[in-house]
Amino acid sequence: MKGLILKDLLNLKGTFKTLGVMMLLFTVIFIPAGNDFVFGIIIIMLAMMVITTISYDDLAKWDTYALTMPVTRKEMVLSKYLVLGILTISGAILSLIVGIIGTMIVGRSFSMEILAIIGVVLLIALVFGSVMLPLIYKFGAEKARLMLMLCFLIPMGIIFLLEKTNIPIPIDANPWMYLSLLIGFTLVGLILSYGLSLKIYEKKEF
Amino acid sequence: MTNALEIQNLNKNYGDFQLKNVSFAVPKGSIVGFIGENGAGKTTTLKAILNLVSRDSGAIEMMGMDTIKEEKKIKENIGVVLDGCNFHDNLNTGDISKMMGCIYKNWNPVIYNKYLGKFKLPENKKFKEFSRGMKMKLQIGVALSHEPTFLILDEATSGLDPIVREEILDVFMDFIQDEEHSILISSHITSDLDKIADYIVFIHQGEILLKEEKETLLDGMGVLKCGIEEFNKLDKDEYIRYRKNQFGYEILVKDKRGIKKKYPEAIVDGASIEEIMLFYIKGEK
Repeated sequence: MKGLILKDLLNLKGTFKTLGVMMLLFTVIFIPAGNDFVFGIIIIMLAMMVITTISYDDLAKWDTYALTMPVTRKEMVLSKYLVLGILTISGAILSLIVGIIGTMIVGRSFSMEILAIIGVVLLIALVFGSVMLPLIYKFGAEKARLMLMLCFLIPMGIIFLLEKTNIPIPIDANPWMYLSLLIGFTLVGLILSYGLSLKIYEKKEF
Repeated sequence: MTNALEIQNLNKNYGDFQLKNVSFAVPKGSIVGFIGENGAGKTTTLKAILNLVSRDSGAIEMMGMDTIKEEKKIKENIGVVLDGCNFHDNLNTGDISKMMGCIYKNWNPVIYNKYLGKFKLPENKKFKEFSRGMKMKLQIGVALSHEPTFLILDEATSGLDPIVREEILDVFMDFIQDEEHSILISSHITSDLDKIADYIVFIHQGEILLKEEKETLLDGMGVLKCGIEEFNKLDKDEYIRYRKNQFGYEILVKDKRGIKKKYPEAIVDGASIEEIMLFYIKGEK
């Protein structure tokens, strides 16, 4: 299993470099402008790289080969979830570093707001991953990419509609309650998603 | 003597294609050549052996262990090369060693480096710059570096030039010097199997048509060339298949010496595996 995770990280080596340059650019442009969405982008971009690793695997017909090694199907699936976890958490840590250094440089004070953005985006990234991975296992990375767009559009549409209908959203409620709800939702989603992916993958023929 | 691999009545139905009661064995210490046309079921059989596809029925044992129950233990001890390169273009040979060291308990970097040197594979080059021959040699080197006792090779020599193929066949011959080692190699380049195989297993439309020691095959079978009169004189059980062409008949016979004795004036040549395969598929009964 360690080998599988290592394989994905080694594979992303090149991508990490490109991403690093992009992030530097974003940081330079957005932080002075006081735009905090750069933190979200870093996390989402890293999380999305799990899809890149699966595309690479498909290209090399890696799964067929890996399963001739002492690697179980369960380990194959679990390793992808762990890679997702590693990537998102690294994204969060990176965002935090960028946040601290960035705000220091431009002379703003590091606010709780940045921390909150990072936390929430981290959870959102994990939720998206949980939706994506079973879709990829079922339909392949290419088709799933299109579905990912839907994954983005549907919740955005719902939020848009909610705003339109002027349903009062209790903004002032206890933020801790929201946070624990979100964390619980993410964890349950991850577990369900893993179970589903495993079920799909165990039946797969190569 | 135990078998490295034993397949009994393997069945797998894909609707338009099926494996029908495939049974054969790979005796320890031998090289078994698994031949057949494209689409005959070679790769499907190999995939069923490796549990890459599920089977409808049948029992498969490797090294005396059931391939479903003891899957992990078996896979520690086999080396597999599939058709094409399965390593990602962005990696290099060092990455593979790091990765495989985590996957196989007995991954041996010394052996791996020995093969890299032997095959002259560059160390700091990404695989996307490797030629097809280099990629295949890499796959074979990797398959041998965790000291397996059984190699399963799917078209490992096809698409390669004669020099690379020769190099690779030499490595297989070296591997088989240890009597505990065995190889199952599928190929449609039958001349390679003429050189190295001890047994031939021939699959056609999902069924095993022939399994025989190679020497027995090549020693016994022959191609008789004659006209229609002589052909009509032949007993049905003296030949296996025949083909008609504009010059007369070509007949694959079971016992070329017997035929020579019986019809001293007839021309009987030896048959290569390729000819045998062609007769079975294209010839008439």
